[in-house]
Amino acid sequence: MRWHVRHRTRYTYDDVVTDSYGHAVLLPRDVPGQRVLSAQVDVDPVAVDRSEDIDHFGNRVTYLQVDVPHTRLTVEADLDVEVEPASIDPEALGAPWEAARPRALDGVPAWEVVELALESPSIGHGGAVLDYARPSFPPGRALGEAARDLMHRVHDDFAYEPGTTSVTSTIDDVLAARAGVCQDFAQLMIACLRSQGLAARYVSGYLATDPPPGRERVVGADATHAWVAVWTPAGEWLALDPTNDQPVGERYVTIAWGREYADVSPLKGVIVSEASSSELEVQVDVLPA
Amino acid sequence: MSALRDYAAATNQPPLQGGPRAFDEVVAPDGTLRRPWRALAAGPLDLADVDLRRVAHQIGRHLEDDGVTYRRPGGTSDRWHLDPLPLVVTAQEWATLSGGLAQRAELLDAVADDLYGPRRLLREGVLPPELVLAHRGFRREVSRPRRAGRSLHVVACDLTRTASGQWQVVADRTQAPSGLGYALENRRVTSRAITPTPLDAPVHRLAPFVPVLRDALAGAAPRTASDPRIVLLTPGPESETAYDQAHLATVLGIPLVRGDDLVVRGGAVWMRVRGRLERVDVVLRRVDAAWSDPLELRGDSRLGVPGLVEADRRGSVRVVNGFGTGVLENPGLLPFMDHVCEVLLDEPLRLPCVPVHWLGDPATLARLRTDLLDLEVRAIDGGGVLDADAPDALLAAVEAAPHRYVAGEPIVWSRAPRLDAGTLTACEVSLRAFTVAHGSGYRPLAGGLGSVLQDGRSIASKDVWVLKESASEPDQGLEEPARPSVASGAAPIAVPRVLQDLYWFGRYAERAEHGVRSLLALPAVGDGLDLDRIGPGDPAAEALLGVLGASGAPGERDARWLQSILLDERRPSSVAQSLVALRAVAASVRDQLSIDVWRAFAVTDRAVASAGTDLAVTAEQVLVGLLALRGTTESMVHDDGWHALEVGRALERALQVGALLSRTVTTMRPLSVEERVHEAVLGATESVVTHRRRHRGRVRLVGLLELLLTDPDNPRSLAAALERLGHALARLPMSTSSSRPERLLEDLVAQVRDVDLSALARVSGQRRRGLEDHLEDVEGQLTRLADAFAELHLVSGPSPRSLTLARRVSS
Repeated sequence: MRWHVRHRTRYTYDDVVTDSYGHAVLLPRDVPGQRVLSAQVDVDPVAVDRSEDIDHFGNRVTYLQVDVPHTRLTVEADLDVEVEPASIDPEALGAPWEAARPRALDGVPAWEVVELALESPSIGHGGAVLDYARPSFPPGRALGEAARDLMHRVHDDFAYEPGTTSVTSTIDDVLAARAGVCQDFAQLMIACLRSQGLAARYVSGYLATDPPPGRERVVGADATHAWVAVWTPAGEWLALDPTNDQPVGERYVTIAWGREYADVSPLKGVIVSEASSSELEVQVDVLPA
Repeated sequence: MSALRDYAAATNQPPLQGGPRAFDEVVAPDGTLRRPWRALAAGPLDLADVDLRRVAHQIGRHLEDDGVTYRRPGGTSDRWHLDPLPLVVTAQEWATLSGGLAQRAELLDAVADDLYGPRRLLREGVLPPELVLAHRGFRREVSRPRRAGRSLHVVACDLTRTASGQWQVVADRTQAPSGLGYALENRRVTSRAITPTPLDAPVHRLAPFVPVLRDALAGAAPRTASDPRIVLLTPGPESETAYDQAHLATVLGIPLVRGDDLVVRGGAVWMRVRGRLERVDVVLRRVDAAWSDPLELRGDSRLGVPGLVEADRRGSVRVVNGFGTGVLENPGLLPFMDHVCEVLLDEPLRLPCVPVHWLGDPATLARLRTDLLDLEVRAIDGGGVLDADAPDALLAAVEAAPHRYVAGEPIVWSRAPRLDAGTLTACEVSLRAFTVAHGSGYRPLAGGLGSVLQDGRSIASKDVWVLKESASEPDQGLEEPARPSVASGAAPIAVPRVLQDLYWFGRYAERAEHGVRSLLALPAVGDGLDLDRIGPGDPAAEALLGVLGASGAPGERDARWLQSILLDERRPSSVAQSLVALRAVAASVRDQLSIDVWRAFAVTDRAVASAGTDLAVTAEQVLVGLLALRGTTESMVHDDGWHALEVGRALERALQVGALLSRTVTTMRPLSVEERVHEAVLGATESVVTHRRRHRGRVRLVGLLELLLTDPDNPRSLAAALERLGHALARLPMSTSSSRPERLLEDLVAQVRDVDLSALARVSGQRRRGLEDHLEDVEGQLTRLADAFAELHLVSGPSPRSLTLARRVSS
């Protein structure tokens, strides 16, 4: 499938902003099953300074500075991406999950994924996480089966309820609330996988949605999305979406990955202003191209 | 019997609890003094108790004079302590140690280079990945394919000696090492207090090392700029080591700046100077990495510069040390250093580390598990030794994430005598050594910062004397005499924040002085604290008390109340409050001020600390300090900062004269009272003599007003203050001769000059309405002038703050 993604973020301030610095993770990367045909980020007012770089995880990141006074800042990403169903080595998925723990492997060049099996600043895996994860990981169970079972359980046990959590919520908050949004489900599932010694990464991107039957497509109705990928000893990544209880397929556009949300937040910034409030408007469209 | 021999006799007793025997820095195992100390014990400074106490007293006084402070984390500012007895390193010992230190710096730099680059150490299994990647000093922001060059330019290394005298590394300090400023200050103080050097061999002076450090920083500059601009980025005067930072900046002749003083434009770093931007090439960073850039690091930081990480990555500025160097402070690296050294440098490690075990290795954990509570367990991220009195929590923490912990035997620190309550007692000591980039390698400072430890924490410092082989050996082993260095002659750069602090310095200094003079002019104070005379019945006293903001009810007016006017920091308008504010702004621009400023503060401090019942004596001593302060600032270089200070002083003086007059002479009183009011006013304005000479003691208000309002020759008059204000204002870089503050001043000067004094003195009813109106008008204009001045010269715009531009939205 070919997708056209338009992701527009607009900030409106109640006073003039003289300088604005931004760090954006909005450009997609090539991954197995995904080819980037074109991708660009536009900034209005025009950024006086911008540079692109590759970060620690191999993501494409953009630094930008706007230095003309403004009360509105728009950052828009336009992407054309081709996605095919990813094939993944069935043998590695069928092997016992214990064999996929990078730190337990001797001599296997798995050092690069070790950091994705460790705790990260907002994804700890203390007692409650460990207890929650355990039933999915009986000894010897196949890796793919265990990971999918965990995905089902997160989907079934947790309600999708925007507003119950915030960007600063911890895994324990989510476990206690039994509710959250895609970011929470992804981070919880990652915590569970890591608590078993598995390497898991947080993936940010988009999911194409269909309008309800018989209704027109509403512009800007789509959203950014997040899911999980777990490492296999074949060096591949099994991508699963606990929010929708399905494996990640050709309706998913991958932007970036890291240990957790904070590593790949789409846009973060610093403004120089006396402004006391600001309004945020995000519009995402994922259209078949 | 000298104090040292007493110490030797006491030290030679076997350890009481049969614990491990520590190395004694002064006494050899056979009970005799070590070689360099024999001379000390026999030399000019016999170290009889009385000498030591005298030296200690002088040291304390010098440190007080220099205003040297240290702030414990979360605590208040404390005096810096320096023990009179130095740590001594012989030339022979130094030869070995310096080689080890240079190698260690090179090794650490190579480790950083590898961990943020090819990662050979991880790929080849030399270092376990979780040891490195779980450490909070590993900064993914700089772990990118595109990288800056050398990241380690200044290294500190904490050392101790084993019982046999072998130096051992306890910890590496790499991310923003502190202490060089203290080390230089310690030497300055000991060289003044202990002369001549009482050792048989000369000591390496530290001063010749300063150009080496400056060259190391200049050499870090990314461009081939002939005169690279170097700044020291400080978290500000609240920082634990604010003195260390300010002193280092002063010694190096580089500006001390805060995040707000810098701005990133076009991917380069600029400093706001004189209304324009000047390029910065090297940032000596004393703000912790995590707080250095609210864009990419901690978004809640107000200490950093947005875009600084990007500028450093692009190589348009060099941040020293690099943001990622904190990863080298990981104590879990210590047990691997031998192997790492073989791998990266292809040579054996010269300087061993204290034995430490990384618990992330399953075999190590299995071996030590049962002994953990007898060892010192600490997290690799820092935070000290875990509490063995809470064994369950400790063991649970280790079992949950063993790779985050190290364990080791308690460190056996070497011991040295310390002067404590007049006698020498043995204490634990450590030595912090400093090494800086030099050419393609590194060069250690022949010297350092010694610490007296109690429960592993530093409670006092010691100077470190590295001895020369012979008197002819050059200082610091530098054959060439120190050449005049790049930035040394440059005047300190005044960013708007500095101008603002100096402006307030001027205002508070003037306010404090005026307060003291007003207090001394109170008849009750001058005449030996006659409280009866400042009863509510005395309008002259009342008027002055009003100036001092002290309107205590008659019943409350006791000696304590009177003292509070001078000494109570919490009382608004008290002299003490002005002094506190004055000292706070002084601390924040320490690098801009002469060391003599702190001597002057030491005088006021001593006056306040020894305040007795005689308030006049205390007030006079405070005044002496303030006059010394005035003398110090008068002899400052007349640069932008000095002119801002002058504006502050002149403006405050003008305001104070007006306030004094409106509180005292706007009401008409019986002649005898009027006379005393005039006397008090003249006393408070230091104008008694002049007035007497001109008017032969006759009380005429017009004469008084002329003297204090319009007389250009009386430096205490409003007219003189305005003239002084005009001179200073005109010299500031943003002044154009028609700027708003200058226009406002011009109008005010004309108004003051043209005023009809006899009209002002006219009375209607009991009041002098003309005078009241005039003074009120002048005050209003001065306030507007102050605001206009601040807006044009002192404001650098709003501070940057972090906004997460896009919050998550999810399907």
